[in-house]
Amino acid sequence: MKNIIETRKLCKTFSNGGVQQHVLKNLDLQIREGDFTVIMGPSGAGKSTLLYALSGMDKPTLGQVVFSGKDITKMSSDKLAVFRRTHCGFVFQQTYLVDSMSVMDNVLSAGLLISKNKAEVTKKAEQILKSVDISEDKWGKFPTQISGGEAQRVGIARALINKPELVFADEPTGALNSKTGKDVLDALTKFNRDGQSIVMVTHDITSARRGNRILYVRDGEIAGELDLGAYVSGDKDRHQKLRDFLGGMGW
Amino acid sequence: MNKTIILAKSHFRKNKGTTIGLLCLMLIAVMLLSASLLLIFDAYPLATREAQRLDSGSGRVRIYNNLTDIDEEFIDELLADDCVRYDVQDCLCYNAIPVPFGNGKATVSLVVDDGSAFQKEMGRTEVVTEDTGITSDYIYLPYQFYTSGGYDIGDTYSFDLLDRTYDLTVRGFTTTPYYGCNNVGGFEVVVDDGTYAELTDIDGEEYACLCVVYELKDGVKNSRFEIGINDKVIARNPRALVSPMSIEFTNEQRTFMSKIIAVSFLVVTLVIFLVVFLMLTNCITNYIKENMKTLGALKAIGYTSSNIRSSLLVLFGSCALLGALIGIVLSYAIMPYIASFAIAQMGIPYEVSFNAFTSVISLAAIVLFTCIVTSIAVIKVKRIEPIVALREGTESHNFRKNRFALNKSALNLDFSLAMKTMCFNMKQNVITFFVIGIIMFLCTIALLMYYNFNKKPKLEILTFEICSGVVAVNPDTSDDLEAYLESRDDVSNIHQIIDTWFTYNGEDSLKVYICDDTGKLKNQDICYEGRLPFYDNEIAISGRFASDYGYEIGNEIPMTYGDDTYTYLITGLIQTTNEAGRQAVMSFDGAGHLMDFEFVPGYYWFDCDDAETTAAVIDDCSEKFGDHIVSTMNFNEILEGSMTTFKGLAAMMLVFICIISAALILLVLYLLIKAFIFAKRKDYGIYKAIGYTSNSLILQTALSFMPSIIVSVALFSVASYFLANPYMNVIMMSFGIVKSNFVIPVPGLAAIALGVVVISFLFAMFEARKIKNIEAYNMLLAE
Repeated sequence: MKNIIETRKLCKTFSNGGVQQHVLKNLDLQIREGDFTVIMGPSGAGKSTLLYALSGMDKPTLGQVVFSGKDITKMSSDKLAVFRRTHCGFVFQQTYLVDSMSVMDNVLSAGLLISKNKAEVTKKAEQILKSVDISEDKWGKFPTQISGGEAQRVGIARALINKPELVFADEPTGALNSKTGKDVLDALTKFNRDGQSIVMVTHDITSARRGNRILYVRDGEIAGELDLGAYVSGDKDRHQKLRDFLGGMGW
Repeated sequence: MNKTIILAKSHFRKNKGTTIGLLCLMLIAVMLLSASLLLIFDAYPLATREAQRLDSGSGRVRIYNNLTDIDEEFIDELLADDCVRYDVQDCLCYNAIPVPFGNGKATVSLVVDDGSAFQKEMGRTEVVTEDTGITSDYIYLPYQFYTSGGYDIGDTYSFDLLDRTYDLTVRGFTTTPYYGCNNVGGFEVVVDDGTYAELTDIDGEEYACLCVVYELKDGVKNSRFEIGINDKVIARNPRALVSPMSIEFTNEQRTFMSKIIAVSFLVVTLVIFLVVFLMLTNCITNYIKENMKTLGALKAIGYTSSNIRSSLLVLFGSCALLGALIGIVLSYAIMPYIASFAIAQMGIPYEVSFNAFTSVISLAAIVLFTCIVTSIAVIKVKRIEPIVALREGTESHNFRKNRFALNKSALNLDFSLAMKTMCFNMKQNVITFFVIGIIMFLCTIALLMYYNFNKKPKLEILTFEICSGVVAVNPDTSDDLEAYLESRDDVSNIHQIIDTWFTYNGEDSLKVYICDDTGKLKNQDICYEGRLPFYDNEIAISGRFASDYGYEIGNEIPMTYGDDTYTYLITGLIQTTNEAGRQAVMSFDGAGHLMDFEFVPGYYWFDCDDAETTAAVIDDCSEKFGDHIVSTMNFNEILEGSMTTFKGLAAMMLVFICIISAALILLVLYLLIKAFIFAKRKDYGIYKAIGYTSNSLILQTALSFMPSIIVSVALFSVASYFLANPYMNVIMMSFGIVKSNFVIPVPGLAAIALGVVVISFLFAMFEARKIKNIEAYNMLLAE
């Protein structure tokens, strides 16, 4: 499988009151096409920083992020925005839907950035909303009128509307209960099976089980990596394997 | 108190931009308020102060034309009963003489004095500035020639007296209570003894004049006194002419312009106060909304509602105080410029000095106003429960219709999202709508003034009738002149108008325009209600006079001339700024009931196609009728001179209001967009995260403000078009104008409307550029 992203000597340093904190240290990493990559690690390890550096949401201090053959660290903010709309999808812990727009409009607001064909984008949005189990009666509702799980699935639909090369998910179930969290993970798993590459940051082992590749970040470096293989529902060995890996990493 | 100040400082640190924006608005409001109060209470009364300083007395009477039997003994007899004291001055007086002034000529009564004018006991003439090095063939001009007439010391002043031309060097400028301003209709000049002797030799008999400045005894009514004087002088010598002028009337005419400026400034100021009120309320409401969590935390740690309210009061009160202090200082800085236009017309030297009264009023007004608005707006702080506030308040979600649905909207993405944003920000839209509407109205008034006072001067409000030219001849050649004018192909609309003074009930007097055919008057707007008189028993009187004495159309009014009285039927009400609106119109047949036209010169008014033809006609008449010519007037020539100060004022008002409007748009959009971006920063972060560029979001934000701006501009343009004249009527009413019918050029209004829209859009784009600073990642971290 080819790499979608490759980082070279990636560093990220935050300065706070003269004190420098090196969050990412010379990190070399490849994200492969079609993988459901899960990034785990203790709090403050640099998971989210890595995710946002990979996606071009944040600029690294040093090093390169080569996304589909282009070094995105050299791009301006506006070029990065255009790059994100074309190549990336985002699912956040807080759903970050725009409250003043309906469910359908939230999805279309991303879709119409790429295509001007309203009818075609609308049809695509309808299909994708159906595929994440958002019924038609919810399409005209506002984000505050639907449940948290539904809102997160709308977020997934928005992330996928442009068929991005890679979806970045930052703790997508972090603000959900187990039932609605499972629905969201099911949706992500389904899309990954259809060939969608996903990078997800999580603290949750249940969520992490969905990935086929687990990266463990500690002190700004990749401390370990586990190949779990494709997700199969009810695979207890998979869970144990992950537990053992995490235990070995000091989780 | 300490807690309150700590909190106020904290509020300021969090809201520096908003507080500074509000401070600027308050500063502008106070600057204008202070300047308009200075105009009203300091510059405007300047004429009265100067009159008192120069010992103007109660009024002045000019007796001229023929002074046979009018000697000192008679004057004593004339004034002894009603006056405490008086002063008589011999001089020369030329009536209706066009003299160079500004860019043209002003037709005035020219009173010529010699150096003895500076020794007068009453109604003194004083030198403002002079060059004593100029020792011969010199002239002292009224100070108005310096302020708006375009002359300076050492210049040559060339003027024609009858058929003679005089070139005199300007030696200095004078201040005088009566004939120092073209609006009063007269200039008093002082010439060197040699020139005066020469003029006396030539014109001494025909143009000799007695100027009597008098102070009335308590209880003597000036208008009655003037009528009495007129009757007694005419009884003594029917060929003498009497021209009385009270100091109140003089000052009223002299301050015409400064009154317009002062009132206009005050109106602009009140409008800006309205904007400050809207913005202050909006800012405080936004502040409370945006800082709900902080306020909740403050309450949770023990700060009381009153601590928080006081701190906001201290913050905005201090802001008002600081804005007021800077505004007052700035008002004194701009005052010389503003006052220069006001005093240009008065022709009185003026130096801006500190006025405690206007400063205290300005300061108190903004501070009290701010404190009241703040006190009302912060009431809701009391209702904030800490726990609710800590949860970001009880934000009630608005389940309105999903307008501009992206799948159905015919607009492109940026426009659709802009319209969506607009629909969810109605409060900002309402504020923008009214602020832009107010600005549109102000701009329309400025345009009206510019167009009607500068671009195409509406002379109808300054004079009874407008035409190309006037030629007046002795009574014996009147018919010949009429026949001559009729015979010329380049002359049209020939009609005769003379004016004289009639009295009413021995109480008041009216300047009566006697017309041979009122239907030929070009200024038909002068009659704003009813119709102009046609039959010999009819009269049209000024609305102001009718209102003062309780007359209406259809009533009968007695008019007296000399010893005769005749009762006329009022057919219409007229409007005019001259003679403080105390004028009337009637036909020759009507006036014939009271006066004999045998000795009255024939004044023929006529129209020509252009200025050159008018000049040629006047020249031909002068040549043909020679010594029989009493006076001539070329309106095209005097237009520039008469309108000089009006033009300057109108241009100044246009520039001033445009600057203020642009500043208001900039400030208001700054405050609204700043608050808007802050409130929507999360949404902007989301948009950026999913791939919207800063430029796209800036455009959307600017566009979201445009519908309310465009609708406001459109509606208020139309409303202003219809309301501008009624508004001007209110301002002009005190000058005798009831129905002004000013022209508002539609292309000009459209250009202003377009300008406001374009400027608003550009400012909105400029203000919204702060969106560039919002980074999606930082927003996510902040959350």
